[in-house]
Amino acid sequence: MNQIPSTQAKIELSHVTHLYLSTTRAFMAVRDINLRVEEGEFICLVGPSGCGKTTLLSLIAGLETPTAGKVLIDGKPVRGTSRQVGYMLQQDYLFNWRSIEDNVFLGLDIQGIRTRETEQYALHLLDEMELADVRKASPQQLSGGMRQRVALVRTLACQPEVLLLDEPFSALDYQTKLKLEDLVFSTLRKHKKTAILVTHDLSESIAMGDRIYIFSRNPGRVSCELAVPAAIRESLPFHARNQEGFQDLFHRVWKEMEVVSGAAKGN
Amino acid sequence: MQPKEIEAIHRDYLKQEAKSRCWVFSTQCLLFLVFLGLWELLARTNTINALIFSYPSKIWAQFWSQLVDGSLLPHVGMTVWETIVGFLLGTLLGAVIATVIWWSPFLSRVLEPYLVIANSMPKVALGPVFIVGFGPGLMSVIAMGCAISVIITTINVYSGFREVNQNYVKVVQTLGGNKRQIFRLVILPATIPTLLATLKVNVGLSWVGVIVGEFLVSQQGLGYLIIYGFQVFNFTMVMMSLAIIAVVATLMYQGVALLERRLTSQFK
Repeated sequence: MNQIPSTQAKIELSHVTHLYLSTTRAFMAVRDINLRVEEGEFICLVGPSGCGKTTLLSLIAGLETPTAGKVLIDGKPVRGTSRQVGYMLQQDYLFNWRSIEDNVFLGLDIQGIRTRETEQYALHLLDEMELADVRKASPQQLSGGMRQRVALVRTLACQPEVLLLDEPFSALDYQTKLKLEDLVFSTLRKHKKTAILVTHDLSESIAMGDRIYIFSRNPGRVSCELAVPAAIRESLPFHARNQEGFQDLFHRVWKEMEVVSGAAKGN
Repeated sequence: MQPKEIEAIHRDYLKQEAKSRCWVFSTQCLLFLVFLGLWELLARTNTINALIFSYPSKIWAQFWSQLVDGSLLPHVGMTVWETIVGFLLGTLLGAVIATVIWWSPFLSRVLEPYLVIANSMPKVALGPVFIVGFGPGLMSVIAMGCAISVIITTINVYSGFREVNQNYVKVVQTLGGNKRQIFRLVILPATIPTLLATLKVNVGLSWVGVIVGEFLVSQQGLGYLIIYGFQVFNFTMVMMSLAIIAVVATLMYQGVALLERRLTSQFK
């Protein structure tokens, strides 16, 4: 493997296999995953539930160590969690006992980098998400969409280079979800983050991603990879859905998903 | 519907609520008065044995005379002091042990059967051991008040720690937090409601421990008064001590309940 610096991927997984061990069995969550994400790219992972998408995010985040294979960020193997990687969960999991502001500063506290400067940056992000006037409020006073925006600010405040999004829109109502997709998409573009989004929603994956990986399950593995055309890629998710070619791509992804679920049933 | 109408309907509702609260309270008072009145009547007419059951006015007279001559308050003070110390020690020690076994999954697996045994053991049976170990006095009583609550605190608080939603832990982990930070930023604040609920249970338990401890060894305290009254066959004194315990224990419980409401309001 000769790695020339100019072609080094931001994130690279090579032959990653991961087992979950318990006294009753050894469960293979993912098998032989190879995946490359370039700097600034937005990647979507879709597939039936139980195909190991969340496992992959945990491996990249350093929450789990792969049983076999390598997970590299900037060419270096991942060892434990790091500042480089931010993680957004399905729900906001804001701490009810802290104000919005203190929730946003959580990462700064943990990493011991809370200074006036970083605080200012976090508050600026809060402002960008139109949340400046609730900074002293408590999380219970906010709607689901607002809370998820706060969670995004909490993640971004630590200035991670890579963002892992684990179905962050799935718990929201449809309108909020569409608005938040646009917001997250443009925010990540603006701050030039590399992102991996796990989702169940096929149209969301096409509207947001540059490339889409479709997974099959038992054990989880990459079934196919699709590139999204430039026109769709470059418009905001809401408008992307009306772009030419969107429906065609949707049907292709749909078909692939049929194949993948069919294969899983066949097993 | 006009705002005025809505207001009127709400006002009616509030009035109804206040009325029903008032009814409940007055029935409670009435019940208590009937109880006291019947007791007094039955004892004075000798339907029940006045020597064993005493009666309210006599108990009150005993209370008043002992209060005035200053022989009562030291007993009350001693018991309250022992209970508070036993209660705090038991709770604190239990919480510390819970923290240690949360920290080390190995230790928690090792200690599990011992905790189960210690929990099913009636702690007051350890009384003689404490008396030998700590001497017949204050220390033994406090040890009893503490022992009775420490194991159950450990078990409750530890299970509280474990029930914290793992996703909160994940949030801190992905932000780069270590185990100490996970404990300080998530586990501890998230279990404050559990901790306070445990406090409420422990107040009652510590009273049991201290009173039993005083039965066994002490020269002062309400438990001692009960035993003394029993020995000299002065059941008025026994009844008076019981009444004082009921009042003071309730006050202490309400104090903790108030603290709980204050501190957990932000979790609701």
